[in-house]
Amino acid sequence: MCASSVIPGTTLGATRRIRPISGAATGQLARQRPAQPVALTEAEAIRLAQAGNAAAFEFLYQLHGRRVYALCLRMVGNPADAEDLMQEAFLQLFRKIGTFRGESAFSTWLHRMTVNVVLMRLRKKSLPTDSLEETLEPDAENSAPKRDVGAPDLRLTGAVDRVNLERCIEQLPPGYRSVFVLHDVQGYEHNEIAGIMGCSVGNSKSQLHKARTRLRELLQEELRQQAREERKAAKSPTGSLD
Amino acid sequence: MHCKELESVLEAEGLEQLSKDARLHLATCGACQGLLADFNSITATAKALPAEVNPPDRIWISLRAQLEAEGLIKEPVEGSEKASWWESFVAAWKPRSFAAVAAAALVVAAAVYVKRVPQNGASDVAKKQTPVESLRPAQPQVAAVPPVTALPANAAPAQGSVPSKTKELAPSPSESASFTLNQAELDVPNMQLAGNSQVDAALRQNLRTLNAFIAECELRLKQNPQDELAREYLYTAYQQKADLLAAMMESGRGEN
Repeated sequence: MCASSVIPGTTLGATRRIRPISGAATGQLARQRPAQPVALTEAEAIRLAQAGNAAAFEFLYQLHGRRVYALCLRMVGNPADAEDLMQEAFLQLFRKIGTFRGESAFSTWLHRMTVNVVLMRLRKKSLPTDSLEETLEPDAENSAPKRDVGAPDLRLTGAVDRVNLERCIEQLPPGYRSVFVLHDVQGYEHNEIAGIMGCSVGNSKSQLHKARTRLRELLQEELRQQAREERKAAKSPTGSLD
Repeated sequence: MHCKELESVLEAEGLEQLSKDARLHLATCGACQGLLADFNSITATAKALPAEVNPPDRIWISLRAQLEAEGLIKEPVEGSEKASWWESFVAAWKPRSFAAVAAAALVVAAAVYVKRVPQNGASDVAKKQTPVESLRPAQPQVAAVPPVTALPANAAPAQGSVPSKTKELAPSPSESASFTLNQAELDVPNMQLAGNSQVDAALRQNLRTLNAFIAECELRLKQNPQDELAREYLYTAYQQKADLLAAMMESGRGEN
Protein backbone atom coordinates (compact mmCIF):
# COMPACT_ATOMS: atom_id res chain seq x y z
CA MET A 1 0.00 0.00 0.00
CA CYS A 2 2.77 2.38 0.82
CA ALA A 3 5.39 2.99 -1.77
CA SER A 4 7.06 -0.32 -1.15
CA SER A 5 7.58 -0.67 -4.87
CA VAL A 6 10.02 2.18 -4.61
CA ILE A 7 11.91 0.55 -1.80
CA PRO A 8 12.03 -3.22 -2.06
CA GLY A 9 12.33 -5.66 0.89
CA THR A 10 14.54 -4.83 3.78
CA THR A 11 16.74 -6.39 6.36
CA LEU A 12 17.58 -4.46 9.45
CA GLY A 13 21.03 -3.00 9.31
CA ALA A 14 21.57 -3.98 5.71
CA THR A 15 22.18 -1.63 2.87
CA ARG A 16 19.09 -1.34 0.76
CA ARG A 17 18.36 -0.16 -2.70
CA ILE A 18 16.46 3.00 -3.24
CA ARG A 19 15.74 5.20 -6.19
CA PRO A 20 17.67 8.40 -6.02
CA ILE A 21 15.57 11.49 -5.74
CA SER A 22 16.55 14.14 -8.15
CA GLY A 23 17.56 17.48 -6.76
CA ALA A 24 20.25 19.01 -4.64
CA ALA A 25 19.46 16.91 -1.60
CA THR A 26 20.73 13.74 -3.22
CA GLY A 27 24.11 15.32 -3.89
CA GLN A 28 26.85 13.32 -5.54
CA LEU A 29 24.98 10.07 -5.30
CA ALA A 30 22.28 11.13 -7.68
CA ARG A 31 24.59 12.99 -10.00
CA GLN A 32 26.72 9.90 -10.63
CA ARG A 33 23.88 7.60 -11.62
CA PRO A 34 20.77 9.64 -12.06
CA ALA A 35 18.46 7.04 -13.51
CA GLN A 36 19.64 3.89 -11.76
CA PRO A 37 18.62 2.63 -8.34
CA VAL A 38 21.53 3.13 -5.95
CA ALA A 39 22.51 1.53 -2.67
CA LEU A 40 21.61 3.68 0.29
CA THR A 41 22.96 3.26 3.77
CA GLU A 42 21.23 4.35 6.91
CA ALA A 43 23.67 7.24 7.34
CA GLU A 44 22.94 8.51 3.82
CA ALA A 45 19.22 8.13 4.39
CA ILE A 46 19.51 10.18 7.58
CA ARG A 47 21.38 12.90 5.71
CA LEU A 48 18.75 12.95 2.97
CA ALA A 49 15.91 12.93 5.47
CA GLN A 50 17.48 15.92 7.20
CA ALA A 51 17.13 17.69 3.86
CA GLY A 52 13.46 16.73 3.66
CA ASN A 53 13.75 13.88 1.18
CA ALA A 54 10.53 11.86 1.18
CA ALA A 55 12.07 8.59 0.04
CA ALA A 56 14.69 8.80 2.78
CA PHE A 57 11.97 9.20 5.40
CA GLU A 58 10.27 6.15 4.06
CA PHE A 59 13.53 4.24 3.93
CA LEU A 60 14.13 4.90 7.63
CA TYR A 61 10.55 4.02 8.45
CA GLN A 62 10.78 0.74 6.54
CA LEU A 63 14.13 -0.04 8.12
CA HIS A 64 13.05 0.38 11.73
CA GLY A 65 9.26 0.30 11.64
CA ARG A 66 8.78 -3.38 12.33
CA ARG A 67 10.93 -3.39 15.44
CA VAL A 68 9.36 -0.21 16.71
CA TYR A 69 5.88 -1.59 16.09
CA ALA A 70 6.73 -4.85 17.88
CA LEU A 71 8.03 -2.86 20.83
CA CYS A 72 4.92 -0.68 20.97
CA LEU A 73 2.67 -3.69 20.62
CA ARG A 74 4.31 -5.51 23.52
CA MET A 75 4.37 -2.43 25.67
CA VAL A 76 0.71 -1.54 25.32
CA GLY A 77 -0.76 -4.90 24.39
CA ASN A 78 -3.25 -3.64 21.84
CA PRO A 79 -2.77 -2.93 18.14
CA ALA A 80 -4.79 0.29 17.97
CA ASP A 81 -2.71 1.96 20.69
CA ALA A 82 0.47 0.50 19.25
CA GLU A 83 -0.27 2.06 15.84
CA ASP A 84 -0.97 5.37 17.43
CA LEU A 85 2.22 5.28 19.48
CA MET A 86 4.34 4.16 16.59
CA GLN A 87 3.12 7.03 14.47
CA GLU A 88 3.75 9.45 17.31
CA ALA A 89 7.27 8.10 17.85
CA PHE A 90 8.19 8.40 14.18
CA LEU A 91 6.63 11.81 13.95
CA GLN A 92 8.76 13.03 16.85
CA LEU A 93 11.78 11.40 15.31
CA PHE A 94 11.30 13.05 11.94
CA ARG A 95 10.57 16.41 13.52
CA LYS A 96 13.87 16.23 15.35
CA ILE A 97 15.93 14.48 12.72
CA GLY A 98 17.66 17.73 11.85
CA THR A 99 19.26 17.70 15.29
CA PHE A 100 20.60 14.14 15.00
CA ARG A 101 24.41 14.32 15.04
CA GLY A 102 25.19 10.63 15.18
CA GLU A 103 26.52 10.71 18.73
CA SER A 104 24.49 7.59 19.49
CA ALA A 105 23.22 4.94 17.12
CA PHE A 106 20.16 6.03 15.18
CA SER A 107 18.21 2.97 16.33
CA THR A 108 19.06 3.78 19.96
CA TRP A 109 17.81 7.31 19.44
CA LEU A 110 14.63 6.05 17.82
CA HIS A 111 14.00 3.45 20.50
CA ARG A 112 14.60 6.00 23.23
CA MET A 113 11.98 8.21 21.67
CA THR A 114 9.60 5.28 21.30
CA VAL A 115 10.03 4.13 24.89
CA ASN A 116 9.50 7.70 26.10
CA VAL A 117 6.34 8.08 24.04
CA VAL A 118 5.02 4.74 25.28
CA LEU A 119 5.86 5.33 28.93
CA MET A 120 4.34 8.78 28.79
CA ARG A 121 1.12 7.31 27.41
CA LEU A 122 1.08 4.52 29.99
CA ARG A 123 1.62 7.03 32.76
CA LYS A 124 -1.27 9.15 31.51
CA LYS A 125 -3.46 6.12 31.14
CA SER A 126 -2.68 4.67 34.55
CA LEU A 127 -3.44 7.87 36.49
CA PRO A 128 -7.10 7.21 37.09
CA THR A 129 -6.78 3.44 37.24
CA ASP A 130 -3.98 2.84 39.75
CA SER A 131 -4.54 -0.44 41.48
CA LEU A 132 -4.50 -0.71 45.24
CA GLU A 133 -1.26 -2.64 45.11
CA GLU A 134 0.43 0.08 43.06
CA THR A 135 -0.88 2.75 45.42
CA LEU A 136 0.52 0.91 48.39
CA GLU A 137 3.80 0.32 46.63
CA PRO A 138 4.49 3.47 44.67
CA ASP A 139 8.12 2.52 44.19
CA ALA A 140 7.42 -1.05 43.15
CA GLU A 141 9.84 -0.96 40.24
CA ASN A 142 12.76 -0.03 42.46
CA SER A 143 12.03 -2.40 45.28
CA ALA A 144 12.90 -6.07 45.43
CA PRO A 145 10.27 -8.42 44.06
CA LYS A 146 8.10 -10.12 46.63
CA ARG A 147 8.67 -13.76 47.44
CA ASP A 148 5.79 -16.01 48.21
CA VAL A 149 6.97 -17.73 51.35
CA GLY A 150 5.56 -21.21 51.58
CA ALA A 151 4.20 -21.22 48.03
CA PRO A 152 4.97 -24.40 46.12
CA ASP A 153 8.00 -23.94 43.91
CA LEU A 154 6.50 -24.84 40.56
CA ARG A 155 8.92 -25.66 37.80
CA LEU A 156 8.19 -23.73 34.65
CA THR A 157 10.36 -25.83 32.37
CA GLY A 158 8.17 -27.09 29.56
CA ALA A 159 5.17 -25.20 30.93
CA VAL A 160 5.85 -21.74 29.54
CA ASP A 161 4.35 -21.11 26.17
CA ARG A 162 4.43 -17.94 24.14
CA VAL A 163 0.81 -17.03 24.81
CA ASN A 164 1.26 -17.37 28.57
CA LEU A 165 4.40 -15.36 28.46
CA GLU A 166 2.88 -12.56 26.33
CA ARG A 167 0.00 -12.34 28.76
CA CYS A 168 2.32 -12.13 31.74
CA ILE A 169 4.56 -9.55 30.05
CA GLU A 170 1.51 -7.32 29.75
CA GLN A 171 1.08 -7.51 33.51
CA LEU A 172 4.57 -6.29 34.29
CA PRO A 173 5.04 -2.72 35.49
CA PRO A 174 6.02 -0.54 32.50
CA GLY A 175 9.66 -0.11 33.54
CA TYR A 176 10.27 -3.84 33.95
CA ARG A 177 8.36 -4.49 30.76
CA SER A 178 10.48 -2.10 28.70
CA VAL A 179 13.77 -3.61 29.83
CA PHE A 180 12.54 -7.18 29.48
CA VAL A 181 11.18 -6.64 25.97
CA LEU A 182 14.27 -4.77 24.85
CA HIS A 183 16.68 -7.35 26.27
CA ASP A 184 15.03 -10.74 26.15
CA VAL A 185 12.74 -10.26 23.14
CA GLN A 186 14.49 -7.70 20.96
CA GLY A 187 18.01 -8.72 21.87
CA TYR A 188 19.50 -5.38 22.95
CA GLU A 189 22.53 -5.36 25.24
CA HIS A 190 22.44 -3.68 28.61
CA ASN A 191 24.61 -0.76 27.46
CA GLU A 192 22.18 -0.11 24.59
CA ILE A 193 19.20 -0.36 26.92
CA ALA A 194 20.90 2.06 29.29
CA GLY A 195 21.14 4.49 26.36
CA ILE A 196 17.53 3.94 25.38
CA MET A 197 16.12 4.16 28.89
CA GLY A 198 18.47 6.85 30.09
CA CYS A 199 19.68 4.77 33.04
CA SER A 200 22.87 3.03 34.15
CA VAL A 201 23.90 -0.42 32.95
CA GLY A 202 23.57 -1.69 36.51
CA ASN A 203 20.06 -0.36 36.70
CA SER A 204 19.16 -2.07 33.45
CA LYS A 205 20.50 -5.40 34.77
CA SER A 206 18.66 -4.99 38.02
CA GLN A 207 15.37 -4.16 36.29
CA LEU A 208 15.77 -7.16 34.01
CA HIS A 209 16.34 -9.48 36.95
CA LYS A 210 13.29 -8.12 38.73
CA ALA A 211 11.23 -8.44 35.58
CA ARG A 212 12.21 -12.10 35.21
CA THR A 213 11.49 -12.76 38.87
CA ARG A 214 8.08 -11.12 38.57
CA LEU A 215 7.35 -13.03 35.38
CA ARG A 216 8.23 -16.26 37.14
CA GLU A 217 5.75 -15.44 39.87
CA LEU A 218 3.05 -14.56 37.36
CA LEU A 219 3.63 -17.71 35.36
CA GLN A 220 3.60 -19.85 38.48
CA GLU A 221 0.34 -18.21 39.48
CA GLU A 222 -1.06 -19.08 36.06
CA LEU A 223 -0.04 -22.70 36.55
CA ARG A 224 -1.66 -22.78 39.97
CA GLN A 225 -4.83 -21.28 38.56
CA GLN A 226 -4.83 -23.83 35.79
CA ALA A 227 -4.36 -26.66 38.29
CA ARG A 228 -7.19 -25.31 40.44
CA GLU A 229 -9.51 -25.20 37.45
CA GLU A 230 -8.59 -28.72 36.46
CA ARG A 231 -9.29 -29.95 39.97
CA LYS A 232 -12.62 -28.16 40.01
CA ALA A 233 -13.57 -29.65 36.67
CA ALA A 234 -12.65 -33.11 37.87
CA LYS A 235 -14.78 -32.73 41.01
CA SER A 236 -17.85 -31.33 39.27
CA PRO A 237 -20.51 -33.87 38.17
CA THR A 238 -20.09 -32.99 34.52
CA GLY A 239 -16.32 -32.92 34.81
CA SER A 240 -15.95 -36.60 33.96
CA LEU A 241 -18.02 -36.18 30.84
CA ASP A 242 -15.72 -33.52 29.35
CA MET B 1 27.70 -19.03 48.83
CA HIS B 2 24.09 -18.68 49.94
CA CYS B 3 20.89 -18.49 47.90
CA LYS B 4 20.64 -14.72 48.39
CA GLU B 5 24.19 -14.26 47.10
CA LEU B 6 23.46 -16.37 44.07
CA GLU B 7 20.50 -14.19 43.28
CA SER B 8 22.75 -11.13 43.44
CA VAL B 9 25.14 -12.84 41.04
CA LEU B 10 22.30 -13.62 38.65
CA GLU B 11 21.18 -10.00 38.83
CA ALA B 12 24.62 -8.57 38.19
CA GLU B 13 26.08 -11.10 35.78
CA GLY B 14 23.10 -12.60 34.03
CA LEU B 15 22.34 -16.25 33.48
CA GLU B 16 25.24 -17.38 31.39
CA GLN B 17 28.64 -16.67 32.83
CA LEU B 18 28.34 -17.95 36.35
CA SER B 19 31.34 -18.00 38.63
CA LYS B 20 32.79 -21.18 40.08
CA ASP B 21 31.29 -20.37 43.49
CA ALA B 22 27.88 -19.90 41.95
CA ARG B 23 28.09 -23.17 40.09
CA LEU B 24 29.17 -24.99 43.26
CA HIS B 25 26.17 -23.61 45.09
CA LEU B 26 23.85 -24.53 42.25
CA ALA B 27 25.08 -28.11 42.31
CA THR B 28 23.85 -28.49 45.87
CA CYS B 29 20.75 -26.27 46.03
CA GLY B 30 17.53 -27.48 44.45
CA ALA B 31 15.70 -24.17 44.94
CA CYS B 32 18.38 -22.21 43.09
CA GLN B 33 18.51 -24.84 40.36
CA GLY B 34 14.76 -24.34 39.95
CA LEU B 35 15.15 -20.58 39.83
CA LEU B 36 17.84 -20.76 37.17
CA ALA B 37 15.90 -23.33 35.15
CA ASP B 38 12.80 -21.14 35.25
CA PHE B 39 14.75 -18.06 34.19
CA ASN B 40 16.27 -20.01 31.33
CA SER B 41 12.84 -21.22 30.32
CA ILE B 42 11.46 -17.67 30.37
CA THR B 43 14.34 -16.21 28.34
CA ALA B 44 14.20 -19.06 25.81
CA THR B 45 10.48 -18.48 25.26
CA ALA B 46 11.00 -14.72 25.08
CA LYS B 47 13.67 -15.20 22.41
CA ALA B 48 11.16 -17.18 20.37
CA LEU B 49 8.73 -14.25 20.34
CA PRO B 50 8.93 -12.23 17.12
CA ALA B 51 11.19 -9.22 17.58
CA GLU B 52 9.69 -7.62 14.49
CA VAL B 53 6.04 -7.29 13.58
CA ASN B 54 4.81 -5.82 10.33
CA PRO B 55 2.90 -2.63 11.03
CA PRO B 56 -0.23 -1.93 8.98
CA ASP B 57 0.48 0.10 5.85
CA ARG B 58 -1.92 2.80 6.89
CA ILE B 59 0.52 4.00 9.55
CA TRP B 60 3.00 5.13 6.93
CA ILE B 61 0.26 6.68 4.81
CA SER B 62 -0.99 8.65 7.75
CA LEU B 63 2.51 9.55 8.91
CA ARG B 64 3.47 10.65 5.44
CA ALA B 65 0.40 12.88 5.23
CA GLN B 66 1.35 14.42 8.56
CA LEU B 67 4.92 15.01 7.42
CA GLU B 68 3.60 16.66 4.26
CA ALA B 69 1.22 18.80 6.26
CA GLU B 70 3.99 19.95 8.58
CA GLY B 71 6.28 20.71 5.66
CA LEU B 72 8.93 18.26 6.82
CA ILE B 73 8.89 16.57 3.44
CA LYS B 74 10.07 19.03 0.89
CA GLU B 75 8.90 18.98 -2.70
CA PRO B 76 11.45 17.19 -4.88
CA VAL B 77 12.84 19.17 -7.81
CA GLU B 78 11.47 17.97 -11.16
CA GLY B 79 13.72 15.33 -12.64
CA SER B 80 13.89 12.32 -14.85
CA GLU B 81 12.71 9.87 -12.19
CA LYS B 82 9.18 8.67 -12.21
CA ALA B 83 7.30 10.22 -9.35
CA SER B 84 6.09 7.99 -6.53
CA TRP B 85 2.36 7.38 -6.21
CA TRP B 86 2.12 9.95 -3.48
CA GLU B 87 3.96 12.59 -5.45
CA SER B 88 1.71 11.88 -8.40
CA PHE B 89 -1.31 12.03 -6.13
CA VAL B 90 -0.33 15.38 -4.71
CA ALA B 91 0.64 16.70 -8.13
CA ALA B 92 -2.64 15.55 -9.64
CA TRP B 93 -4.72 16.81 -6.79
CA LYS B 94 -3.30 20.28 -6.36
CA PRO B 95 -4.67 22.08 -9.42
CA ARG B 96 -8.12 20.55 -9.09
CA SER B 97 -11.15 22.54 -8.30
CA PHE B 98 -11.95 22.46 -4.62
CA ALA B 99 -15.64 22.77 -5.42
CA ALA B 100 -15.75 19.36 -7.05
CA VAL B 101 -13.88 17.81 -4.16
CA ALA B 102 -16.19 19.43 -1.65
CA ALA B 103 -19.24 18.11 -3.49
CA ALA B 104 -17.93 14.57 -3.34
CA ALA B 105 -16.95 14.99 0.26
CA LEU B 106 -20.49 16.08 1.10
CA VAL B 107 -21.80 12.72 -0.05
CA VAL B 108 -19.50 10.92 2.33
CA ALA B 109 -20.21 13.35 5.13
CA ALA B 110 -23.91 12.73 4.65
CA ALA B 111 -23.40 9.00 4.93
CA VAL B 112 -21.39 9.47 8.10
CA TYR B 113 -24.12 11.73 9.41
CA VAL B 114 -26.74 9.05 8.88
CA LYS B 115 -24.68 6.68 10.99
CA ARG B 116 -24.25 9.13 13.82
CA VAL B 117 -27.93 9.89 14.13
CA PRO B 118 -29.28 6.39 14.76
CA GLN B 119 -26.27 5.57 16.94
CA ASN B 120 -26.96 8.47 19.22
CA GLY B 121 -30.66 8.34 19.32
CA ALA B 122 -32.11 5.02 18.26
CA SER B 123 -31.44 3.11 21.47
CA ASP B 124 -33.35 5.44 23.73
CA VAL B 125 -35.37 7.24 21.15
CA ALA B 126 -38.69 6.28 22.66
CA LYS B 127 -37.67 7.66 26.00
CA LYS B 128 -36.19 10.96 25.00
CA GLN B 129 -36.26 13.26 21.99
CA THR B 130 -32.72 14.59 21.65
CA PRO B 131 -31.81 17.68 19.64
CA VAL B 132 -30.02 15.42 17.19
CA GLU B 133 -33.12 13.34 16.70
CA SER B 134 -35.16 16.42 15.97
CA LEU B 135 -32.94 16.98 12.94
CA ARG B 136 -33.70 13.55 11.45
CA PRO B 137 -36.13 14.59 8.73
CA ALA B 138 -33.72 17.19 7.43
CA GLN B 139 -31.44 14.90 5.39
CA PRO B 140 -31.49 16.33 1.90
CA GLN B 141 -28.03 15.05 1.00
CA VAL B 142 -28.99 11.49 1.79
CA ALA B 143 -32.14 11.76 -0.24
CA ALA B 144 -30.00 12.40 -3.27
CA VAL B 145 -28.15 9.11 -2.81
CA PRO B 146 -29.84 6.33 -4.81
CA PRO B 147 -29.50 3.36 -2.44
CA VAL B 148 -30.79 5.28 0.51
CA THR B 149 -33.84 6.59 -1.26
CA ALA B 150 -34.58 3.14 -2.58
CA LEU B 151 -34.65 1.67 0.88
CA PRO B 152 -37.25 2.41 3.52
CA ALA B 153 -34.83 4.28 5.79
CA ASN B 154 -36.11 7.62 4.58
CA ALA B 155 -39.63 6.38 4.70
CA ALA B 156 -39.46 6.16 8.45
CA PRO B 157 -42.84 7.40 9.56
CA ALA B 158 -42.22 9.99 12.18
CA GLN B 159 -39.35 11.50 14.02
CA GLY B 160 -38.45 9.72 17.20
CA SER B 161 -40.03 6.38 16.30
CA VAL B 162 -37.76 4.28 14.17
CA PRO B 163 -39.14 0.75 13.99
CA SER B 164 -36.52 -1.90 14.54
CA LYS B 165 -37.33 -3.58 11.24
CA THR B 166 -36.67 -0.34 9.39
CA LYS B 167 -33.45 -0.01 11.25
CA GLU B 168 -32.35 -3.42 10.06
CA LEU B 169 -33.19 -2.61 6.47
CA ALA B 170 -31.54 0.77 6.47
CA PRO B 171 -28.10 0.73 4.92
CA SER B 172 -25.18 1.38 7.21
CA PRO B 173 -23.23 4.55 6.47
CA SER B 174 -20.40 2.37 5.19
CA GLU B 175 -22.76 0.74 2.73
CA SER B 176 -24.21 4.07 1.62
CA ALA B 177 -20.85 5.70 1.21
CA SER B 178 -19.40 2.62 -0.43
CA PHE B 179 -22.31 2.37 -2.88
CA THR B 180 -22.17 6.04 -3.76
CA LEU B 181 -18.46 5.95 -4.34
CA ASN B 182 -18.65 2.73 -6.34
CA GLN B 183 -21.29 4.30 -8.56
CA ALA B 184 -19.04 7.25 -9.14
CA GLU B 185 -16.18 4.89 -9.89
CA LEU B 186 -18.07 3.14 -12.72
CA ASP B 187 -17.10 5.77 -15.28
CA VAL B 188 -13.45 5.80 -14.39
CA PRO B 189 -12.09 2.67 -16.16
CA ASN B 190 -12.71 4.00 -19.66
CA MET B 191 -11.65 7.52 -18.95
CA GLN B 192 -8.43 9.10 -20.08
CA LEU B 193 -7.60 10.77 -16.81
CA ALA B 194 -4.61 12.88 -17.72
CA GLY B 195 -2.51 13.88 -20.67
CA ASN B 196 0.45 12.32 -18.96
CA SER B 197 0.16 8.52 -18.87
CA GLN B 198 2.31 8.36 -15.74
CA VAL B 199 -0.11 10.57 -13.86
CA ASP B 200 -3.00 8.58 -15.29
CA ALA B 201 -1.44 5.34 -14.03
CA ALA B 202 -0.64 6.90 -10.68
CA LEU B 203 -4.24 8.03 -10.22
CA ARG B 204 -5.54 4.58 -11.02
CA GLN B 205 -2.98 3.05 -8.69
CA ASN B 206 -4.09 5.45 -5.95
CA LEU B 207 -7.65 4.33 -6.46
CA ARG B 208 -6.67 0.67 -6.22
CA THR B 209 -4.69 1.41 -3.08
CA LEU B 210 -7.60 3.21 -1.49
CA ASN B 211 -10.01 0.44 -2.45
CA ALA B 212 -7.73 -2.13 -0.85
CA PHE B 213 -7.47 -0.01 2.28
CA ILE B 214 -11.24 0.45 2.41
CA ALA B 215 -11.75 -3.30 2.04
CA GLU B 216 -9.31 -3.91 4.90
CA CYS B 217 -11.09 -1.40 7.14
CA GLU B 218 -14.51 -2.83 6.28
CA LEU B 219 -13.31 -6.31 7.07
CA ARG B 220 -11.90 -5.18 10.36
CA LEU B 221 -15.12 -3.42 11.25
CA LYS B 222 -17.09 -6.49 10.31
CA GLN B 223 -14.95 -8.55 12.66
CA ASN B 224 -15.13 -5.98 15.42
CA PRO B 225 -17.89 -3.39 15.01
CA GLN B 226 -16.64 -1.57 18.13
CA ASP B 227 -13.27 -0.81 16.57
CA GLU B 228 -13.46 2.95 16.56
CA LEU B 229 -10.04 3.38 15.02
CA ALA B 230 -10.98 1.22 12.04
CA ARG B 231 -14.19 3.21 11.67
CA GLU B 232 -12.28 6.45 11.72
CA TYR B 233 -9.81 5.16 9.14
CA LEU B 234 -12.68 3.93 7.00
CA TYR B 235 -14.39 7.31 6.95
CA THR B 236 -11.12 9.03 6.22
CA ALA B 237 -10.55 6.59 3.37
CA TYR B 238 -14.04 7.27 2.00
CA GLN B 239 -13.29 10.95 2.14
CA GLN B 240 -10.00 10.42 0.33
CA LYS B 241 -11.71 8.28 -2.27
CA ALA B 242 -14.33 10.95 -2.81
CA ASP B 243 -11.59 13.52 -3.23
CA LEU B 244 -9.69 11.30 -5.59
CA LEU B 245 -12.73 10.46 -7.72
CA ALA B 246 -13.63 14.13 -7.93
CA ALA B 247 -10.12 14.91 -9.10
CA MET B 248 -10.19 12.04 -11.59
CA MET B 249 -13.52 13.04 -13.06
CA GLU B 250 -12.58 16.63 -13.42
CA SER B 251 -9.36 15.60 -15.06
CA GLY B 252 -11.26 13.21 -17.35
CA ARG B 253 -13.67 15.90 -18.41
CA GLY B 254 -10.81 18.24 -19.11
CA GLU B 255 -9.03 15.74 -21.29
CA ASN B 256 -11.91 14.20 -23.18
